[in-house]
Amino acid sequence: MLKSNETIIKTKNLGKTVSVADGDLSILSSVNLTIDEGESIAIVGASGSGKSTLLGLLAGLDSPTNGSVALKGTELTALDEDGRAEVRNKLVGFVFQSFQLMPRLTALENVMLPLELRGDKGAEQTAVSLLKRVGLEQRLHHTPMKLSGGEQQRVALARAFVTEPAILFADEPTGNLDSKTGEQIIDLLFELNQEKNTTLVLVTHDTALAARCQRTLHIEAGQLT
Amino acid sequence: MNRLNLALRLLKRDARSGELTLLVLALIIAVSSSTAISLFADRMHRTMNTQAAEFLAADLVIRSSELIPAEWHDKARELGLKQARTAEFSTVLIENDELLLVGVKAVSQMYPLRGELKTTQADYSVETTRSNGPKAGEVWLDTRVLATLKLAIGDQLMVGEQPLRVSEMITYEPDKRGDLYSLSPRVMMSDADLQATQILQPGSHIHYFFQFSGNAAALNDFNVWVKPLLLPSQRLMDVQEDRPELGSALSRAERYLGLSSIIVILIAGVAIAMSARRYSERHFNATAILRCLGCKQNDILVLFLYQFFILGVLACSIGSLIGWATQEVLFELLRELLPAKVAAPSLIAVMLGFMTGFAILIGFALPPLLRLKKVSPLRVLRRELEPLSNSAWLVYGLALLLISGLIWRYTQDYKLMLVIIGGGLATTLLSGILLMGLLKQLRKLLPHVSLSYRLGLQGVLRNPVASVTQILAFSITLLAMLLSFTVRNDLIQDWQQQLPDNAPNHFAMNILPDQVAAFGQQLEQQTMGAAQFYPVVRGRLVGINDVPVQRIVSKDSQGERATHRDLSLTWGNSLPSDNKTVAGEWTGAKQGEVSIESKLAESLQVILGDKLTFSIGSEQLETVVTHIRSVQWDTMKPNFYMVFGDGTLDNYPATYITSFYLAEENKKVLNTLVKQFPSMTLLEVDTLLKQFKTILTQLTAAVNYLLYFALLAGFTVLFASVYSTLDNRINEGALMRTLGANRSLLNQAHCVEFSLIGVMSGLIAVLMFELVSFGLYRFVLHLDFQINIWLCLLTPLVSVACVVAAGLWGVKDVANKPPMWVLRDS
Repeated sequence: MLKSNETIIKTKNLGKTVSVADGDLSILSSVNLTIDEGESIAIVGASGSGKSTLLGLLAGLDSPTNGSVALKGTELTALDEDGRAEVRNKLVGFVFQSFQLMPRLTALENVMLPLELRGDKGAEQTAVSLLKRVGLEQRLHHTPMKLSGGEQQRVALARAFVTEPAILFADEPTGNLDSKTGEQIIDLLFELNQEKNTTLVLVTHDTALAARCQRTLHIEAGQLT
Repeated sequence: MNRLNLALRLLKRDARSGELTLLVLALIIAVSSSTAISLFADRMHRTMNTQAAEFLAADLVIRSSELIPAEWHDKARELGLKQARTAEFSTVLIENDELLLVGVKAVSQMYPLRGELKTTQADYSVETTRSNGPKAGEVWLDTRVLATLKLAIGDQLMVGEQPLRVSEMITYEPDKRGDLYSLSPRVMMSDADLQATQILQPGSHIHYFFQFSGNAAALNDFNVWVKPLLLPSQRLMDVQEDRPELGSALSRAERYLGLSSIIVILIAGVAIAMSARRYSERHFNATAILRCLGCKQNDILVLFLYQFFILGVLACSIGSLIGWATQEVLFELLRELLPAKVAAPSLIAVMLGFMTGFAILIGFALPPLLRLKKVSPLRVLRRELEPLSNSAWLVYGLALLLISGLIWRYTQDYKLMLVIIGGGLATTLLSGILLMGLLKQLRKLLPHVSLSYRLGLQGVLRNPVASVTQILAFSITLLAMLLSFTVRNDLIQDWQQQLPDNAPNHFAMNILPDQVAAFGQQLEQQTMGAAQFYPVVRGRLVGINDVPVQRIVSKDSQGERATHRDLSLTWGNSLPSDNKTVAGEWTGAKQGEVSIESKLAESLQVILGDKLTFSIGSEQLETVVTHIRSVQWDTMKPNFYMVFGDGTLDNYPATYITSFYLAEENKKVLNTLVKQFPSMTLLEVDTLLKQFKTILTQLTAAVNYLLYFALLAGFTVLFASVYSTLDNRINEGALMRTLGANRSLLNQAHCVEFSLIGVMSGLIAVLMFELVSFGLYRFVLHLDFQINIWLCLLTPLVSVACVVAAGLWGVKDVANKPPMWVLRDS
């Protein structure tokens, strides 16, 4: 794995406050973070500690209340939603705990989707080769309903890596899987990560999984410790 | 009790979270529109009947050429009916060396029992409304009588041997009939003076109208009691029978009101079914948890039934109130068109609206609710476990039963019910098959279109059964709106055609053959255009195939009425323009052939080739039926039961009849005509026409308002349908944006999807519409059916516009929801 020291994610005083019945509630505050290209980072914390919120802000899925996030030098807070969507499409891949596949599309169509959104010509070929890579060549035309949990997560992995993103965000990728399947998925995730030289940001409460990353960030009550 | 408490708690929570908003809204719209329509139709119906009763000046009238037995009066008194009497006859008045044939009407003190009289003191000045006729010693005259006889208010007028003082000019009498006695210039006097005039001698030609009014039950009792006692020369008159032109307009309007009610309920039902389905689906998880915690299947059902019962009571109460208020507003808006006295709202109609609401709730919301009973507790572990669907028989059977019941209640017409249900089912099935085929073809397009189109297409193709159901729901909604709209238009157009602005408003009869040319010339000179003259010979039908006609006719039939009096018989090769051939062929050239009106032929069971014998004067005439034709009696043009072949009636003395239009400002021409052709009898029907037009205007306005209800209900379906898939769309939209899709791509995909649904719904709706309206027009409304090309072209366009607009409005948040939604979900 080649490792450069170029910064790919940088946050400055990142914070998120939400309104609740009896006032404002700070769910994340003053997060200053720098992640280098090719690094693998685990964000670990208890339920409700704010780790998913942090992931959402880093990936540009949500806007912060204060502070800023920059992905590969692009200031996300300066962009509107469509601008952030474009950045996500170019730079970012996602793997979710609940797979989040499009229910009406086949495995192949799901993997093709990010390429098509980008306007890539050879979407089908690329998608097929990646699905083969994750061992699903027999399942190309199955809809998510007809796939097992492990298979669905493999499709999700193929979809995440198909655009060769600079950064992969994974939110509890094994949370919905049994331990054996979970392990296989994680192995596959790290293999692909190395092959594609992707920066990995992984949210988990599994310390063993976190240990496989180069760096572990602990989060508690919305603050990095 | 505990369950009720739990149900209330759950209901409160659902209500607060907005879960129930759409369902309640749909129910409120259904109940408010059905209550409003039920109340409005009921009040309108009763008001119209009251107003129609005005045309008779009573609720029930016995027409007789002699006095009726004292027991009849006693019976009416016993039943609590009010009574009045008018006697009508023609006489010639002579004043200031001028002669005039007038129609005298001697009225009793109680006359009119319904409606009011209007009089004036000076020419066309302010009218005074009067609830009784002239006092003894006084007489009220038509303006033309004053002008012709050179009289003024306050002068004496000799009616027979009795001098009477001219006290008022009469401008309006409610029961002015289209016959000779009523339409000659009117002289109205008190019947207290009748004896003294000495005009009436034994054998005098006079018509008595014995009038009765009171409550419906008493009237019905009297009707039933008196009917068998009537002599052939006596006739019972009610609105339907006595004023066919008004009767048919009323009954058509009633049918329309009924049809609109069903349409609004059907559309609202679709909206309720859709929102109930979404409600049920959103409660699968909560139900699974309840089941895990030990709730039995029936407990679940009872819990949700409680909730829906409470919901039903609340929504139906609010709906009833809104419905009541809406119809009040409608009546207020129509105030100027309606008679001063409008029937009061009836509590029964409100209750019916309320009950209808519950029926809709049960018919459309129960099946999705029953599905909750089948939720497996295992769903807490495996979210993808969906409860089994209800049997199609239950889902559609219940709704169908409800709709049939409602159609029956509103129309009391099994034909209409069969046409709507049968036509509806057949076309729905056919359309369903057609749509499935169409979707299959559309799938082939997928690899060849751009991403936004593909996503849109996939939206429709993902679940073909669900898409077809949705498209059919839209189609039925559109169909209902289309029916409501076009039936209304055709109904109004048909009424207007019946009475165009320059519809003839005068009849001239008894024109002698040598006067026809001169009379025609006069009419043309007075810019009234060329008139068509018909020769008339008076004669009576006495035999059919050598059997005396009285042995053939059944009592109280049209046949009986037509054979108890002299008919106006005419001849010629050109039939009146609105007559249509039903059977046979008419050349009119052969002597001895006759064309008979179709309904009379039906009543007398006359078919082509039958021999009809007529008695004309002292002679008998034999003819053969070679033609049967339909006649539009309500066109205010001369029309005939019998038209003979040319030359058949040559040996009999004939006079001529014509009708023409005369504007109000040209009225004075009549005096010249009367003087020039003294033997001619002039009938003025313009007041009658005015009354008739006012009623049609009122009906038209009411019918328009009912259309708006149908439109309102239609839009709720659109929104309910979009909302029923909103959860999925929000989730998918957020996921797409996570993967980098921008808002315009999502909007484009939605546009494609909604346009597809819109265009298919529009096309299917047009197809269904043409089929159903054919049945409806042909067999129920008895109007001519024509394919409306413009509607066929416009409907899919309007459908696309509406579905896309409602759809995009419904999913506007999908493109704006932060993609973070996806993370939250996981």
